[in-house]
Amino acid sequence: MKKYFLVAKNTWDEMLTYRLNFTMWRLRGIISLVSIYFLWLAVIPNNGSVFGYNRSLILTYILGSSLVNSIIVSSRSYIIGDEINQGNLSNFLIRPINYLMYWFAKDLGDKAMNILFSIFELLILFLILRPPFFLQTNISYLIPFFISIFLALFLNFFFNLLLGFIGFWSPEVWAPRFIFFMIESFLAGAYFPLDILPKPIFAVFQLLPFGYSLYFPLKVYLGQLSLTQIYFGLLISIVWVFGLLLIAQFVWTKGLKVYTAWGK
Amino acid sequence: MSVISVSNLSKYYQVHEKEPGLLGSVKSLFYRRYYDVKAVDDISFEVEEGELVGFIGPNGAGKTTTLKCLSGLLYPTNGKVSVLGFTPYKREYKFLKQISLVMGQKNQLWWDLPAIDSFILNKEIYDIEDKQFNQTLEDLSLLLDIKDILQIQVKKLSLGQRMKCELIAALIHTPKVLFLDEPTIGLDVVMQKKLRDFIKQYNQKYKATILLTSHYMRDVEQLCKRIIVIDKGKILYDGLLSDIVKRYSRYKLLSVELSEQVDRKDLEKLGEIKEYNFPTVTISVVREKSSNIAAKLLENFPVEDINIEDPQIEDIIRRVFSTKANI
Amino acid sequence: MSISKYLKVWSIMTFYTAQIALQSRFGAVMFIIGKLLRFSFFLFFLLILGFKTKAIAGYSLWQMIFFFATFNLIDTLAQFFLREVYRFRTYVVNGFLDFILTKPFPPLLRSLFGGSDILDVPLIFISIAFVIIAASHIGQITLFGILIYNLLIFNAFFIALAFHIFVLSVGVLTTEIDNTLFLYRDLTQMGRIPVDVYQEPLRGLITFFIPVGIMITFPAKALMGALSLEGIFISFLIGGLLFYFSLKLWHFALKHYASVSS
Repeated sequence: MKKYFLVAKNTWDEMLTYRLNFTMWRLRGIISLVSIYFLWLAVIPNNGSVFGYNRSLILTYILGSSLVNSIIVSSRSYIIGDEINQGNLSNFLIRPINYLMYWFAKDLGDKAMNILFSIFELLILFLILRPPFFLQTNISYLIPFFISIFLALFLNFFFNLLLGFIGFWSPEVWAPRFIFFMIESFLAGAYFPLDILPKPIFAVFQLLPFGYSLYFPLKVYLGQLSLTQIYFGLLISIVWVFGLLLIAQFVWTKGLKVYTAWGK
Repeated sequence: MSVISVSNLSKYYQVHEKEPGLLGSVKSLFYRRYYDVKAVDDISFEVEEGELVGFIGPNGAGKTTTLKCLSGLLYPTNGKVSVLGFTPYKREYKFLKQISLVMGQKNQLWWDLPAIDSFILNKEIYDIEDKQFNQTLEDLSLLLDIKDILQIQVKKLSLGQRMKCELIAALIHTPKVLFLDEPTIGLDVVMQKKLRDFIKQYNQKYKATILLTSHYMRDVEQLCKRIIVIDKGKILYDGLLSDIVKRYSRYKLLSVELSEQVDRKDLEKLGEIKEYNFPTVTISVVREKSSNIAAKLLENFPVEDINIEDPQIEDIIRRVFSTKANI
Repeated sequence: MSISKYLKVWSIMTFYTAQIALQSRFGAVMFIIGKLLRFSFFLFFLLILGFKTKAIAGYSLWQMIFFFATFNLIDTLAQFFLREVYRFRTYVVNGFLDFILTKPFPPLLRSLFGGSDILDVPLIFISIAFVIIAASHIGQITLFGILIYNLLIFNAFFIALAFHIFVLSVGVLTTEIDNTLFLYRDLTQMGRIPVDVYQEPLRGLITFFIPVGIMITFPAKALMGALSLEGIFISFLIGGLLFYFSLKLWHFALKHYASVSS
């Protein structure tokens, strides 16, 4: 395990070298966050509520999604597709290291930095904007909240892997990724909580994996779900995580066969 | 009047010292210590029409910087540069239409398209008439022998083929002055020779003035009568290639083929042994005594064959750099 | 050098870029779909908000759509024409910029307009369609309003141009392109909604200093007859000033261009 810890640590150090890029990247995140924040502020009247959300709930949702996003984002493994295409994968196959673990470790190193920055940014935003914030203190909501984030982290890692594995069969690895994340961020509830959607649409979304990376954890945090709903949600999350794990493993073995057959 | 005239040209780059660490980079936001790197330091020379001049010098000597100042890419720190009567850095179109710059490591061709498409674009950019364009393209592709690859995507070409196409793209407007920066880099020996032949032919056919830098001394040796040796931004030598050989090689090389093994010590009495690899041995001897020693060799040793040669041009240049004398 | 020559060179380069973009049909289709999805998702979001709330910051749903469509029009026009800027970093790093500079064709025009992106064309038409549809639902539009709207869109394009020239200049000096470019994109994205939504001092900042407001909100407001004469005047003034200074910076950058060594 120690080697994977070192990989994570090196990734962290690497970020310090590219600190300008990283800071700019975070800054871009803040800009879009602020944009959505003010839109919602304008939509919901001071003491009223829309879609069953008052100001403090919706603003907590929007700001919280930024923090959750920094935890679940797989900001390194997006390169896997290119690695496969350029044949860099071979450098890993001949070494005693698990390729997928390697990237997971890199993602973790990256996440640590992202989370740190995210907390720091949110503190600043809180000081400037002084939003009405909903602080959840009930431990029976907080525990499932953390579990759901933990599951969301794996969901996103597997999505990333599968998108990267496209590289085994096609040089077009960027276009599908571009579309996927556009759809994902929408379906995950980055713009708005999914339950403001019409009932039938929302019912379908509840069965899809996307909502479980942002919407569901935040909804749990806000304490707006019953225990049954929470258990049901966690169950679906778990099913998806294991489902995707199996699919990823299957595709990986298939892909490796193709890869070695080409002899890249 | 000379085609190129350079007087007291200097080009300094301002570099700021970077202190290590986060504190250092914050500090450097407010206060920076600058110092100048003298890429080119007060050089002067003239080039006449139709000359083919070679620039020689180690990495970072200032060869490329000089070419870039001459082609108008860089704004000189000091001094006067005139090419075809123009001031290069003003980059007037009348001037740019008469020059061209070829860099061995850089590509101007569109990677994903056939080379002919890049030529057509250049035709518009340089306002070339249809007739002249077709004629030049015909001539150049004949000289380079590449008619059949013009319709192939550039990325699918070999390095040599690509370089040939790069040359056509650079010469399609038949420039009067041509700057070649390491044109043969990375090519195999056969391809290098082909390109050299082409450059020579172009020089003669179009009466073009050509300035060339190259790592391969052979390029310079076979193409240029005149060379300019430059190091650390200063000109060390400017003159005929043949003169530098006379002036700097106080030694000649005797390469001898022996018919049987002889004691190395006996040979060492004659001069410095550069290489002893039976049956051949190479001995470096003082220029004036070379014929004398050759006679001695023939007399006292079992010699099959003997040759008196000037040392390799690389060795001479190395000597120029090591003595650092200004000439 | 005549305009017709510029147009010819531009059309050749656009034709080439189009060929390259279409070499991978799958990628091209995916990117077009992606752009359309991005457009429809935000539109969908606005619709949901609009159905539940009567007005957002005092604007009706159709007015919000009009702001959004105007944003897309300007954003896509800039992307279509100025796509080459996204490739500029490569040109600086691999030395292609040297070739651009030694050719008898204006390097700034070459670096800005060299190769427009046909994948943006569908969205340009969709934006125009939405601008017209939304405008027709707003009502009370004068001919003068339409005229000023068009002029201010033109002005917005010049501001976008100034930004891109600024990005290029910084690129020449430091080889840093991508971050400044994407920062610009994110900032303009704030203009998907009228800047009135943001609170001070942010509103002032993105209206005048980073003139997202002038670029997107002001033209749309002008059409609705909600922009004062001073607002119109200031828009053109800031547009002109930014453009002027960006050109100055470009010339400064070229003078200090160091060219990557081989």
